[in-house]
Amino acid sequence: MGEVFGGDTAAVDQADIEFRNATYALFVELGRAPTVKEAAGFTGAAQGEVEEGWRRLHEAHALVLDLPEPAIRMANPFSAVPTSFRVNAAGRDWYANCAWDAFGVCAVLGADGRIETNCPDCGEEIRLEVRRSRPDDESLLFHCLVPAAHWWDDIVFT
Amino acid sequence: MNLFRSEEHIERWLDGRAPGGTIPVTKLAELAEEWWGDRLAPDWRPHTFEQNQAILDRLGLTGGFWRLR
Repeated sequence: MGEVFGGDTAAVDQADIEFRNATYALFVELGRAPTVKEAAGFTGAAQGEVEEGWRRLHEAHALVLDLPEPAIRMANPFSAVPTSFRVNAAGRDWYANCAWDAFGVCAVLGADGRIETNCPDCGEEIRLEVRRSRPDDESLLFHCLVPAAHWWDDIVFT
Repeated sequence: MNLFRSEEHIERWLDGRAPGGTIPVTKLAELAEEWWGDRLAPDWRPHTFEQNQAILDRLGLTGGFWRLR
């Protein structure tokens, strides 16, 4: 699922956006979610500033935290925790939050890739290649259960 | 937000629940490109509701199900 910047955006300023961009850059550099300590080292901010910034970005739906630590759960389209949507792109393995995000990983990295998941009905493995933003198996269907207006009611479920 | 082999698999998985939105995987790939393509750009700015709704509309994802609010 994609980010909708429909949260509490009033509290997010340019400094937070730059902080968000740094967090994403570090995620891609590391191939996983950075810790508070790593983000502090990368940005030169204090760990408390990282935590406060991440919380504001979480409220703004710019990333998703596991609270109360806080630890990054989603930097959409990337997932910080293993999921059933595995993507190999740009020389690394990634987890995506859903099928939409799996394509999003290729899109955000500007790379071809391979997506692996399973049909939630029968469990059969679904594997497809993405080349120049196009899937090599065009017969598949994408189903979204939750209406768009409710995606952020429970983003982990969505 | 899953991938399925066919409508039959979706119906069986729904098991009586109301269906949501179903689109071809090719449309999903287009959607992902438009939605996510800028997320690592140095000048990235948060998408507004209007921008995101415009992406959905442009791809023909119209109707109440695809309204962001």
